[in-house]
Amino acid sequence: MATRAPEMASTVPVLAPERPVTWPKRTRARLSNGLEVVLAEAHSIPKFHGELFFRSGEALVSDRSVGLAEMTSTVLRTGTANRNSRRIEEDLRRLGADLGTSAGQDTSAISFAGLSEFAEPLLELVNELSRDASFPPPEFERERRQKLEEVKMERTSPGFLAGERLRKVLFGSHPYARVSPTEQQVAAYRREDLEQVYRKIYTPENALLLMVGDFDPQTMLNLAEKTFGNWTGQKPAAKEAPALPAFHGRRVYLVHNPGSVQTQILLGCHAITRKHPDWIRLGLTNSLYGGAFNSRLVMNIREDKGYTYSPRSGVSPLRQHGYFSVSAAVRNEVVAASLTEIFYELDKLRSLPVPPAELADAQNYLTGMFSMGLATQEGLLSQFATVALNELPADYLETYRDKVRALTSEDLLAAARKYFDSANLQIVVVGDRAQIEQQARLFGDTEVYNAQGERLD
Amino acid sequence: MTQLQIPIHSSTLANGLRVVIVPDTTAPVVTVGVYYKIGFRLEPQGRSGFAHLFEHMMFQGSENAPKMQHIKLINSSGGVLNGSTMYDVTNYYEAVPSNALERVLWLEADRMRALKVDEENLTNQRDVVKEEVRVNVLNQPYGGFPWLDMPPVAFRNWANAHNFYGDFADLDAASLADVQKFFRTYYLPNNAVLLMLGDVNPQDGQVLAEKYFGPISAGAAPPFADPTEPPQTEERRGYVREKFGTLPAMAIGYVLPPRRTPDWYAMVLLDQALHGGRAGRIHRELVLEKQIAVEADGGVDDVFGYNGPSQMTTRILHKPEYTAEQTLAAFDEVLREVQQKGISDEELNQLKVKWRSDYYSTLEGGRGGYMPRYGLMHLLACFSLFDNDPQLVNTVLQSFLVVQREQIQAVANKYLRPENRAIVFRAPVSKDAKEAA
Repeated sequence: MATRAPEMASTVPVLAPERPVTWPKRTRARLSNGLEVVLAEAHSIPKFHGELFFRSGEALVSDRSVGLAEMTSTVLRTGTANRNSRRIEEDLRRLGADLGTSAGQDTSAISFAGLSEFAEPLLELVNELSRDASFPPPEFERERRQKLEEVKMERTSPGFLAGERLRKVLFGSHPYARVSPTEQQVAAYRREDLEQVYRKIYTPENALLLMVGDFDPQTMLNLAEKTFGNWTGQKPAAKEAPALPAFHGRRVYLVHNPGSVQTQILLGCHAITRKHPDWIRLGLTNSLYGGAFNSRLVMNIREDKGYTYSPRSGVSPLRQHGYFSVSAAVRNEVVAASLTEIFYELDKLRSLPVPPAELADAQNYLTGMFSMGLATQEGLLSQFATVALNELPADYLETYRDKVRALTSEDLLAAARKYFDSANLQIVVVGDRAQIEQQARLFGDTEVYNAQGERLD
Repeated sequence: MTQLQIPIHSSTLANGLRVVIVPDTTAPVVTVGVYYKIGFRLEPQGRSGFAHLFEHMMFQGSENAPKMQHIKLINSSGGVLNGSTMYDVTNYYEAVPSNALERVLWLEADRMRALKVDEENLTNQRDVVKEEVRVNVLNQPYGGFPWLDMPPVAFRNWANAHNFYGDFADLDAASLADVQKFFRTYYLPNNAVLLMLGDVNPQDGQVLAEKYFGPISAGAAPPFADPTEPPQTEERRGYVREKFGTLPAMAIGYVLPPRRTPDWYAMVLLDQALHGGRAGRIHRELVLEKQIAVEADGGVDDVFGYNGPSQMTTRILHKPEYTAEQTLAAFDEVLREVQQKGISDEELNQLKVKWRSDYYSTLEGGRGGYMPRYGLMHLLACFSLFDNDPQLVNTVLQSFLVVQREQIQAVANKYLRPENRAIVFRAPVSKDAKEAA
């Protein structure tokens, strides 16, 4: 072996005593118009990060079409009553700022970051975008054409095809089932649709303004009041959503992607939302299963068998529902072998209590990772957003680590039995049909689709 | 603007290992990195992809921490770890709660001192790397575009021009003996820098560095192949088939002036003028105004992270109704505008403010939110290994802020010439051809 020096301490150094983890104080306030504000100081760099969230997204407007909330967010940065698209982009650069607009199923957001010295003009621009967007017709038309190319393009990505199919299967007629529009839907978008979505979603009563960075909270709060205070608008009415499909047994959905030299596997079942009392125990169970490098799934199908580069599992929380999923891109010859191991590790967690040492390792992992977000403005922002958007208790961050540490092997066994619904997992495989169909059919009745989403058989 | 004053404690151990410590008690976490001055550019000929495969092997066990232990010990200490292979360096890094600092140093020292891997580990990681190549390149639309497509078109020296992820035949040919030789040649304390950033007292960090890394013997200065390129006299073009994607694509790369020369600083700001997001001239003209392209982005990647020939590369996906030549003509027009008219003082000021702001974010920023100060670590490592001056982190910003608009126009004319560029066209294969394939 390649050795350079004979002596070296051969035992692992023990961990030093833990240093205290202190989350920065949050300043919470409500502006005179009802806009909720959360602020925290973080002086790591002379900048600040912010996000203006609106608590509605695609799911609220899904009756009209698919993807309208996202299209609205895309076009809203292209013009206001006072500034055209080019002016907006150059003003951002002048302020050393970045700005992004986005929409998901449950939220729409304008995120921004910039130099603290230019906080006032940056907030003014965010204010303009959130209330005075003008949706210029030529900009809308360009973005609509861009979107047409994007929806054609995304159908060539195995990851997209797998995710889209799993969401369709798990969510049936619920809006969460539709992750992306068809070409026909995009072609039918009208500018007026976007304006209506904008008026409905982008209101102060529906919003949450979060800012973290190098500023004095009181000064920043005054600035927020001055900038956003006279904006008015109500929270949109909530919408009834259909029930989810129930599953009896496993089923396979093969998406035929001709020429694939690898197979994208994605399995899933319904799980829970972020607010659910079982969230933390399911999170720990997941981290042990496939949520960390050191997890059982990664050790098995990557480090032992070499089937795949990046296997992982996760719990995806949406506001009304959550789902558990397992993914791996594997070589075509080992699709069945990989699925067998994926189920083996799930069933093992459902059958046997986790040994104490492994439990302690996983608890350390989750609690340690939780502290990483403390070091950056973006990390803090994302943790505060999770708490605020999910209406978690005010001391959630402060008590999280103790809650993780209090969990027992019995808790994990119960969580695995309840949420790792092995017998009813829905199985998506994206790959070249000729190479993988026989293997896939070993795991259940099989439906075959093409990349356009049409059923082949 | 005030001068940056990041407290950088740097030293060199007797065995030549450079040590850089930056204390910051914002959070009780510490980021540790070990950078070795060898990347895929100078990996052995006939062993394309070897530097990266070797990086995987560094997670497969060392004398006192067998396979799985590296990963297990870091995760179970509450931290994360990874490594990456770049052109001229390979890094290994961990972010952990600061009470695990000593354990991390022990692990990094153990694998710098005595890598211990076997045939089974090599077979396993060769399989993993092949799946990595499939998931990132062979089974993805525009996989490897343009970072793998461009080098063989742009460069003539094997060092710069080969397949960095590796031909599968070369990966298959890699032996355990190759692994050991590469380790003995390049993975030396005198060819590396150790970095600690975050919740660490500089004196304590220094003592621990000495304790764990001090006993490792130095080796002979590693041999490095010469990456110099022969002079280029005309535009170079290459063609690649796109198997999955729907849009024609092209990448245009211009060789950059030598690192940290006045031309280079001006060129980096010009890059911002051209590629700086939606305000950048290329995106603005091709995507927003003329609407020829669906995507037009790129630029100088990892500005400080190269120690050899590199490019500013524009990546364009355009609408099928425009030909490649029409698209290229529109691109050329954007460049011609800067070459003929230069940029205004106002634009230059915007570029400088944005560059300063981005630089701060680089210093703070992590990787995916879970690797605090990765950016600062990376700059300190590159400035240590390439420039022997980690303090550049505090001063380099100034060199960009003094660039004059005349310099921008001058470098546009000097470097953005056809005989200094290479173009890769990546056109989708027809549907019929795909079905028959």
